[in-house]
Amino acid sequence: MKYDFAVIGAGPAGYVAAKKAATAGLKVVMVEKKKLGGVCLNEGCVPSKTLLQAAKTYHHAKHGSIFGVEAGSLSFNFGKAHAHKNSVMDRMREGIVGLMKKNKVEVIEGEATLIKGGFSVNGESHEAENILLCTGSSPAIPPIPGIEADHIVDSTGILDNEKLPEKLVIVGGGVIGCEFACVYGSVGVPVVVLEAMPEICPNLDSEIAAILRKELEKKGVTFLLGAKVESFEGNSVRYHLDGESKETEADLVLVATGRRPNVSGLGLEDIGLDFDPRGGVRVDEKGATNLPGVWAAGDVTGQAWLAHAASRMAEVVVHNITGQKDQMRHDTMPAVVYTSPEVAVVGLTKEEAIERGFKVKTGKIPMAINARYIAENPGETGMCKVVLDADTNRLLGVHMVGGACSEMIFGAVTMLETELREEEIEEIVFPHPTTSEIMKDVFMAVR
Amino acid sequence: MPKSQIIEPAKERKAGSIPFAEIPLNQYKQDIAKEKEAYGAEALVGMYEDMLLIRVFENMLQSIKTQGSYEGIEYDHKGPAHLSIGQEASSVGQAFLLGIDDHILGSHRSHGEILAKGMSAIRKLDDKSLIEIMENFLGGDCYRVVEKEGSDSVKDLARNFLLYGALAEIFGRENGFNRGLGGSMHAFFPPFGILPNNAIVGGSADIAMGAALFKKVNRKDGIVISNVGDASMGCGPTWEAMNFASMRQFHELWENGMKGGLPIIFNFMNNFYGMGGQTAGETMAFDYLARVGAGVNPQSMHAERVDGYNPLAVVDAIKRKKALIENGDGPVLLETITYRYSGHSPSDASSYRLKEEVEAWQAVDPLNAYSKELIEAGMLTEDGIEKTQANITKAMIQACRLASDLEISPRLASEKIGNLMFSKRKVENYDTSREPELTLAPSDNPRVQALAKKSRAGIIDGKPVSKNKVYQYRDAIFEAAFHRFQNDSTLVAYGEENRDWGGAFACYRGLTESLPYHRLFNSPISEAAIVGSAVGYALEGGRALVELMYCDFMGRAGDEIFNQLAKWQSMSACILEMPVVLRVSVGSKYGAQHSQDWSAIVNHIPGLQVVFPCTPYDAKGMLNTALAGSDPVIFFESQRLYDIGELFEKEVPAEYYEIPFGLPAKRRTGKDLTLITVGATMYRALEAADILEQKYGITCDVFDCRSINPLDYDPLIESVRKTGKVLLSSDACARGSVMQDIASNISQLAFDDLDSPPVVVGSRNWITPCAEVEEDYFPQPSWMIDAIHERIMPLPGHQLLSNPTTGELIHRNREGV
Repeated sequence: MKYDFAVIGAGPAGYVAAKKAATAGLKVVMVEKKKLGGVCLNEGCVPSKTLLQAAKTYHHAKHGSIFGVEAGSLSFNFGKAHAHKNSVMDRMREGIVGLMKKNKVEVIEGEATLIKGGFSVNGESHEAENILLCTGSSPAIPPIPGIEADHIVDSTGILDNEKLPEKLVIVGGGVIGCEFACVYGSVGVPVVVLEAMPEICPNLDSEIAAILRKELEKKGVTFLLGAKVESFEGNSVRYHLDGESKETEADLVLVATGRRPNVSGLGLEDIGLDFDPRGGVRVDEKGATNLPGVWAAGDVTGQAWLAHAASRMAEVVVHNITGQKDQMRHDTMPAVVYTSPEVAVVGLTKEEAIERGFKVKTGKIPMAINARYIAENPGETGMCKVVLDADTNRLLGVHMVGGACSEMIFGAVTMLETELREEEIEEIVFPHPTTSEIMKDVFMAVR
Repeated sequence: MPKSQIIEPAKERKAGSIPFAEIPLNQYKQDIAKEKEAYGAEALVGMYEDMLLIRVFENMLQSIKTQGSYEGIEYDHKGPAHLSIGQEASSVGQAFLLGIDDHILGSHRSHGEILAKGMSAIRKLDDKSLIEIMENFLGGDCYRVVEKEGSDSVKDLARNFLLYGALAEIFGRENGFNRGLGGSMHAFFPPFGILPNNAIVGGSADIAMGAALFKKVNRKDGIVISNVGDASMGCGPTWEAMNFASMRQFHELWENGMKGGLPIIFNFMNNFYGMGGQTAGETMAFDYLARVGAGVNPQSMHAERVDGYNPLAVVDAIKRKKALIENGDGPVLLETITYRYSGHSPSDASSYRLKEEVEAWQAVDPLNAYSKELIEAGMLTEDGIEKTQANITKAMIQACRLASDLEISPRLASEKIGNLMFSKRKVENYDTSREPELTLAPSDNPRVQALAKKSRAGIIDGKPVSKNKVYQYRDAIFEAAFHRFQNDSTLVAYGEENRDWGGAFACYRGLTESLPYHRLFNSPISEAAIVGSAVGYALEGGRALVELMYCDFMGRAGDEIFNQLAKWQSMSACILEMPVVLRVSVGSKYGAQHSQDWSAIVNHIPGLQVVFPCTPYDAKGMLNTALAGSDPVIFFESQRLYDIGELFEKEVPAEYYEIPFGLPAKRRTGKDLTLITVGATMYRALEAADILEQKYGITCDVFDCRSINPLDYDPLIESVRKTGKVLLSSDACARGSVMQDIASNISQLAFDDLDSPPVVVGSRNWITPCAEVEEDYFPQPSWMIDAIHERIMPLPGHQLLSNPTTGELIHRNREGV
């Protein structure tokens, strides 16, 4: 068969690209070896958010007395939470199937291999004028002795764990580690997070990260910073901290030490595809690889590791294929940690901005000055920080922790995308009382 | 390949053994009375004075380098100073009998040789000649400074001139012998027979051999001495030069009146160390350096070891060897043993030798020993030594004061260096005093007659003329070379197959019939010596056309091309000219070591002109230009082109014409895209242009950068301003090619006019594969069109056959391929 556009991988890059290309009139095929929806729907965003919501609901119920809500005896049925999670996933997958059908995207189940001028799947070769490689990523498992034990799981494995452990140890205090620490901590499981770096979530503004850490500590999560795991033996986790070898016990261990692009088994080396030093498929700002007609988007490129970034990258590729000028702007890509409280950021941190040569000015205010925020989040610490170019007053970055700030970060994204300056932002009206007002008020603190 | 000499199996297969001519060691028997009788007391004492002059000069430099002052004159000399303290007798003894027609070339450690040869010349020249030389050299700039100081005699003035000129050169001053552009390791002064000294170990050997070739071919008086160090015997080019100078053809094949080896002494100043290595005991195979002569020719190169700690022993040796050479029995290998007290350079702590060893040589110090002999023979007194010492010190203080003073001795404004990179003269004949020698009149030359019957037009009535009827590229090379042979008496041509073979790719077929051996001969397969000797030939004042067959073989002549051919005009402030044309041919079908276009490598080296004509019309016109100039030209040809006819000009004129270097040739005019090529790729670019026009309606300006350096960018920029799009291509590997350089300059010169970045399509950064798959290696028309489609302007419906993406460019660079 000959296609205009072949999509390898049906995650948030793949199905978005397939739909968009089909809408543009291309003959499109999408190949998926597992389930439609990719990491996001099956092993990442969607299931984890469902569980987080379950934990949050339990937590609110347990701590509702300040609002006068007394729940009496309270229990948490993890199995039911999982059932809800599964139903959400099923529903979303059906949505994708319907979307593909409606847009006449041919979906092939099987493992694709790239060949010159096309791909082969299930023993058949097909030609494709353009191919989008979006095979996603898998958890990266570090070579720690004893890591093969059954009670040690990765971020995919933990989603299937329906039994609350006595104690959970999480190796890696990144976004994934923090989200699961929040899930389990919120429902009363003692959690220990072992993070090798001096602070959790090293990509975040360090002050924001510290606030998040302290909030999670309130939920019963212990963070051991600078701890390097050495080995697992039975239920013991041995780690190195402050010059000493120590150990802790856990009946469930989550290894959340990052992800790696899925690039093997696809014949990529054979066709001469180029990789970046971290192992991702190297693409330019249009999503083009070094091979004519071969494109890549999402986690397989080793960039961003975010579903919405993958979708956008895919969109950029389709635009370029169909003759519409477009390119990625990673600097305006928002990122969220879906813990309680949430962290939502976009743009440069102060340090990054200085490194890029900007003369920087910043502003920060506690969320506690905002009426809506303190009404809804009693006792929680939140903060909003902005980074501006002191020469032009252009907004370079917004960093928030507190409440459900993920729902308002798009406002900051818009400001960055449209390159708004401080004085222009001051003219924007924010509804009162909303937590989003914090994004206007923070500019009063800029210096 | 002389048919006159038959290689007979019976003779060659006969059993026997080889006898070697004996090599004497230090055989000189001192008899001071006899020497006094031969040369006179004044001359013998003069030798002592010259040795002392050198010692004081080197001590002065030692003091400047290590103390930052000399006799109260403070000066910080940043540059090198390779001192020859201890070696004085060897240079003074050598120079003693030499006249100004005898030329010496030396090494980085040649201050002593310059002063010795200079003083020898001063002692021999009359006052009028000395004044004339000093007044005329560099417009009298150097002379005026010392003249102002006054002196007791013209000879003293000349000595002061020599000291000041040499020291100002060492200090990098405009009044120095070479405008300060040569410096300590290269200083020289041709009027006294002192030719360039060389900072590359062994560098002078093949250049000196070329100078000797010049003397022989042009029947000039005098001999040439190559003064190199003992460590030079480890350098291939030194061996090449000795073999070249001793070729059997000089005795067997060259015409009567021209028979005999080259008039050269390969003198090795053996101070027993080369950098940190002890030569005879550590880094060399020989025990006595002179032994090597036995490996060169049946005469063992008349080699002998001479005691360089005794000036009279050296005088004796030079006298005998000079006579031998003048009898046509050269060349000669001389090992002059000597010893340096100081290290290789002031930074050398002499950690590789014992203090006791240095002291042992100091105990037999040549100045002490020789002065003692003179005193004992009643020719010199202690008082006389003191007076001489005082006199020399006074002269040295004067020289140091003048040379270190920035007002009296300013530096050459750096911008002026640019004007001295090329001499830019047009010279019809480097020796108008005699007619160019030919053995057959041009009108009787068989190739000239054959060419008269060929079609000088490549296209007649729109159809290409067949190969056997058309005047080809190789004919253009022949005509240009033959023209210059008829007009420049000094022109010689040589290479590995230049004579009976007819030159590589039949370019010289017919020249053998018209030229005597001494103007056209086969050289050994010694690329370094071929180029090095051409350099020496040119700096003596002759024109050389040398050829290396394949461009790849330039690797064998790296130093000679990069450091010698390219440098001597500017390092001499253009006192010297370098009329050398080096022909190289870019191959194909012969794999990795016979197919490379290295135009970028020579283009990178300042001081070389680089051209690559790819039509018969340009080949003739540009070789004519090259052979009428005074600058070194690397003349690229392509083996894909030797049999092509002229397709662009109406015909190749039979008359002489020149094509000035610089302007690219416009091969086609269009409006949408600019194609720029170097070399044979031009024809493939034209194929691409045809396809672009026929399939996509895109018309191209096609430029042939036949002149790589110099290159006039104006026509290229004018075209890019019109089209906004440019693709560049050549057979060179893409990385670091000439096309990259041109692309970079176009980006800078026409940035605002470009619709897309300049795109370079070169050969892959691989080895050249076998002939059958060369299409995967050399740029093809389809690659050019692919690159245009992907990187410059999408071509509707075009399907890529190659991979011209920017991602792949990054990928290949990261992989280093």
